[in-house]
Amino acid sequence: MENLISLFVNSVFVGNILLAYFLGMCSYLSVSNNLRTSLGLGLAVTFVMTITTPVNWLLYHYLLAPGALAWAGLPQIDLSFLKLVLFIATVAGIVQVVEMVIDRYSQGLYNALGVFLPLITVNCAILGAALFMVERRYTFVETVVYGFGSGVGWLMAIVAMATIMQKLRYADIPTGLQGFGIRMIVTGLMAMAFMLFSGITL
Amino acid sequence: MNPIRHFFHSQKKHFRPGGRLARLDSFFEAMERVFFGTDQVTAFAPHARDSITLQRYMMLVIVMLLPCLFFGMYNVGLQAFKASGQPPSFWPMFLYGAQTVLPLVIISYVFGFGWEIVFAAVRKHPISEGVFVTAMLFPLTLPPTTPWWQAALGISFGVVIGKEVFGGTGRNFLNPALTGRAFLYFAYPIQMSGDAVWTAVLNAGSQAVDAVTAATPLVIASVASTAGTVEETLAAAGYDWRTLFLGFYPDSIGASSALLCLIGAMGLILLGIASYRIILGGTLGVLAAGYLLMLFSGPTALPYLSLNPFYHLVIGGAAFGIVFMATDPVSAPHTHAARWIYGLLIGILTVLIRVFNPAFPEGIMLAILFLNVFAPLLDQLVVATRIRQRIPNV
Repeated sequence: MENLISLFVNSVFVGNILLAYFLGMCSYLSVSNNLRTSLGLGLAVTFVMTITTPVNWLLYHYLLAPGALAWAGLPQIDLSFLKLVLFIATVAGIVQVVEMVIDRYSQGLYNALGVFLPLITVNCAILGAALFMVERRYTFVETVVYGFGSGVGWLMAIVAMATIMQKLRYADIPTGLQGFGIRMIVTGLMAMAFMLFSGITL
Repeated sequence: MNPIRHFFHSQKKHFRPGGRLARLDSFFEAMERVFFGTDQVTAFAPHARDSITLQRYMMLVIVMLLPCLFFGMYNVGLQAFKASGQPPSFWPMFLYGAQTVLPLVIISYVFGFGWEIVFAAVRKHPISEGVFVTAMLFPLTLPPTTPWWQAALGISFGVVIGKEVFGGTGRNFLNPALTGRAFLYFAYPIQMSGDAVWTAVLNAGSQAVDAVTAATPLVIASVASTAGTVEETLAAAGYDWRTLFLGFYPDSIGASSALLCLIGAMGLILLGIASYRIILGGTLGVLAAGYLLMLFSGPTALPYLSLNPFYHLVIGGAAFGIVFMATDPVSAPHTHAARWIYGLLIGILTVLIRVFNPAFPEGIMLAILFLNVFAPLLDQLVVATRIRQRIPNV
């Protein structure tokens, strides 16, 4: 249990998937204009991550990993080279379902997220979490916690970014830096503040 | 006053539109405001009737920082003389300290104010007195052995990336002085951390300033062994409660004395400049986190856990950070409730980082920056809660 709590804290703060690994930047930079939308997107990403990472774990460990097909009588087959393709396909499928659910139950959020909801499919944070899960050899329960923690970390980063951008509406930003320029600078400064936790070993 | 008034009056025409130095108009205004009050008045209601302008506001902060600066000069000299075994006498120590500290302060002002003038001239915004406070805070947080070029680089980063890219004072979201300090910390860790940088020693050789190894109380407390309490370990190293409270130990130039920070805090609160909510919240946060950690202490646990919470307030830069850095009116939250939460979280995070993060002996700098990032969110949450609590107009 203690191990799981420290893994959660680790994935939210110390190894924040956005501000420590810089994954999932595209939707983070584009949809961080106000708190409500970014909260919606953050929750959607957290939800998708919490589901896809464990599903990918199951697929990897029962289909792809070396010797994973032993249950089918084929212990010598190693399909792990397919993991990138399969992970993306899984993420895409699950995002489709999430999109339909949001469309059905929250039209406002659906319209606010617009094109970025399907783009969660190619949100590299989600694929990144699945690949880290393989690389770090997490167990199934750890994977669930890690996927959820990474999602919460991403949510925290985008919500903080959105409120900062709302504050910066009153700023007088040089023409050349308006838009993505200032967002990159803000992200860099935020990442510097998140270095607070780097070095903690839990 | 008359010659000065005459001088400004006679030079004014060069800075007006059409004059030779029209681009430096904001620089002229700033210099004039150092001597005279503003002649700008509002034409329509509402009129501000308080005498405290942004300029006075910032100048009062600087006045409150001056004791820290002078104490820092004395303390740098004192630690240097202690380390080299010379007999301590007041004036030589003070002069040596001034010789070490003043160049850093001057560099900080030249570069900080220089960037402000450049941006004011190019982007045509008025020069804000905020940069004077930034340029005073920044050198006080540096180790006394900081190379001059690094001080110049740090203040440049703080003023340009921390503030000017957002349009100047009032628009930034991080404390500019701390942004510069943190930048230096991560860019040049060798000159900014470790045991060797906190004491400057006068060397007769070619190198003017050299350093000796003297662990700061923070490091001593974090590596304290299980034999005896942490307080005893600190006292054995020569840092008893009184020394720590008064600030006679190697640390950042101006951040060591908790007594002066306490006086500064009272002054700032009485003058209505700093938010007492942030200062009290920060203090309570440090004490609460220290007390909670004490509950987990035991014979097998980390000895640092058992440190008296009040020691956390007086060692290192916690007091200085909470009083002078966290209360920055721009980067702190603006609602009352958010200020309490902000202060409390800064205090708690500072202690947690000190104890649990082996990478940073001192946590206050990044704790404040971290909460600066979340200050707008805290504000929005408080506002949203308020709106929800309203009784709707039926």
